[in-house]
Amino acid sequence: MEIKTITSANIPVFFNNLVKSGKVVVAPVLKKSGKVFFESVQSYDQVSTDYIQTAFSAKSVVFPEVEELFSYTKKEDGDFEFRNDMSNVPETVIWGLRPCDSSAFNYLTDFFLKENPDTYFKLRKERTTLISVSCAKADAACFCTSVGLNPGNVTGSDILLTAMGDSYYVEISTEKGKSVIDTALFTDSTEKSKEEFLAKVETKFSMDEIRERIQTAYDSAEWKHESMGCLGCGACAFSCPTCTCFDIQDEGSQESGKRLRCWDACGFGQFTRHASGHNPKSNQTARRRQRLMHKFKYSVENFGIVSCVGCGRCIRVCPAHLNIFENILNVTKA
Amino acid sequence: MKLLQNKVAELFENGTINLMIGFKEALTKQPVPCFIEKASEIEQLIYTKDCKNNLSVYLHKPEVKQAGKIGILANIATLRALVQLTSENQFWDIEKTVLTVNDKEEVIVFSDMEEVEAYVQANFPEFSEEDLKLLDYLESLSREDRWKYWTEQFSACIKCYACRAVCPMCYCPQCTVECNQPQWIKTSAQTTGNLEWHIMRAMHLAGRCINCGECGRICPVGIPVHLLTVKMNQDLFKEFGTKSGFALKGDYALNSFKPDDKEGFIK
Repeated sequence: MEIKTITSANIPVFFNNLVKSGKVVVAPVLKKSGKVFFESVQSYDQVSTDYIQTAFSAKSVVFPEVEELFSYTKKEDGDFEFRNDMSNVPETVIWGLRPCDSSAFNYLTDFFLKENPDTYFKLRKERTTLISVSCAKADAACFCTSVGLNPGNVTGSDILLTAMGDSYYVEISTEKGKSVIDTALFTDSTEKSKEEFLAKVETKFSMDEIRERIQTAYDSAEWKHESMGCLGCGACAFSCPTCTCFDIQDEGSQESGKRLRCWDACGFGQFTRHASGHNPKSNQTARRRQRLMHKFKYSVENFGIVSCVGCGRCIRVCPAHLNIFENILNVTKA
Repeated sequence: MKLLQNKVAELFENGTINLMIGFKEALTKQPVPCFIEKASEIEQLIYTKDCKNNLSVYLHKPEVKQAGKIGILANIATLRALVQLTSENQFWDIEKTVLTVNDKEEVIVFSDMEEVEAYVQANFPEFSEEDLKLLDYLESLSREDRWKYWTEQFSACIKCYACRAVCPMCYCPQCTVECNQPQWIKTSAQTTGNLEWHIMRAMHLAGRCINCGECGRICPVGIPVHLLTVKMNQDLFKEFGTKSGFALKGDYALNSFKPDDKEGFIK
């Protein structure tokens, strides 16, 4: 870990230099709808700095909504030509993601690369640099501190920036981070602590207590009541920085077409429906339970980490306002 | 609030309902849907002008239907939806008790759907000014620019189907987008398939949409998707004089045929 300082006035210069270097820079942008989204930007003027959380996470940079796995064309001799060209995946910098989101990239990496490495994700991840910005503000939906994270954690980031008045505290965690640093703009840090500049995020539950009780939560009678409001859309899964489920779709004809990997969501009624018509998760209660148990139990068993990072997006986006931490508290009640 | 809670307590006590769908204040301070199954939970029940959700959508949900005798706290959009859904014969398998809180903050428990119909007709909401303004703006554009506007909007759609999920009129057990033999509509979230999906949805809702605006309000991407069906409702009123969610025996324009129709093409 290297600690540096950059003046606030130099942040736009640093940012614009990243753009000039030819990298695609994805950053939070305020849209007319009042929501903030990650999108590719050309200049720091376009970047939103006053936001608690973006509407969607930046996972689509490494795990796009629709990933073309390959395309095919029937040749004149009747044989098929397959194409899978990933060489044009650009070097990308994700700017301004929150510490919860950068932590989520660790889970994504485990999920896609630990066993049977996924070549698409691997390439995209290798070409992505994460420059996170600590949270100075939080809202009632934020609960990173309940899942072992905090508004200034460096986990997953290549660089973490923390605004401290007229300067930024810069924590560089990786070689990749070092490689994008423009040395002329950064000086050695004399600041002692960033703590006072971080948001205060209330702890909604203790992970220590949950970890124990979640083991038997599957049979809780509360699931039905807790998921009564769930309408079965994919808003929570699609806005979630750690949801990785996908569906493979073929689009095209016998002559030409493509195979696509598309985001899928466990809230959908079709998600687990078998070809026979049988559906082991035949109701919304079972589907909501799957979502929460996956975050708090199954991913711990599979990868040793809770795959909820407490970003609060699912709470903000849910049409029925289902609240994941309320749900978890209620199904693990003693 | 107390009045409402007392009324609901009474309904539980005399066995009229065993599930109440209403609103409570969430930890995030917003009014959110709540499901009361025990008298002890009645205290959380609230009703304010910010109670926007159209709760009638829950009456299609199997877990809710199981309760059998259901109370529902309805805002005016929900009441309209209930009238429309009744006209589409959707409530044959549940007993429901409909409550509302009027402008004078009086709690009304409707004794039947005819009373709901009368209340809706007396308090029929206008199109929202904000929607009309945006529609006027879109009308002022050239056809090409309007197409560009919607193409841009829908290219951002991620196909989470939240618009479908919150819609009380989207109650098909299998949606067209879920048919894959053959597949009518591409399921990947890309511009063409997205446009096909939203056009298909708007057509299925033409004259049935009750203008609650939920689909536009909850869209995670912020697409004003409700404008499509609002516009259709405007046109249908102009052409056929029909209003959705207005009458229990209402026919919606795309589902009715009259031998004396002034258009000859259909005969």
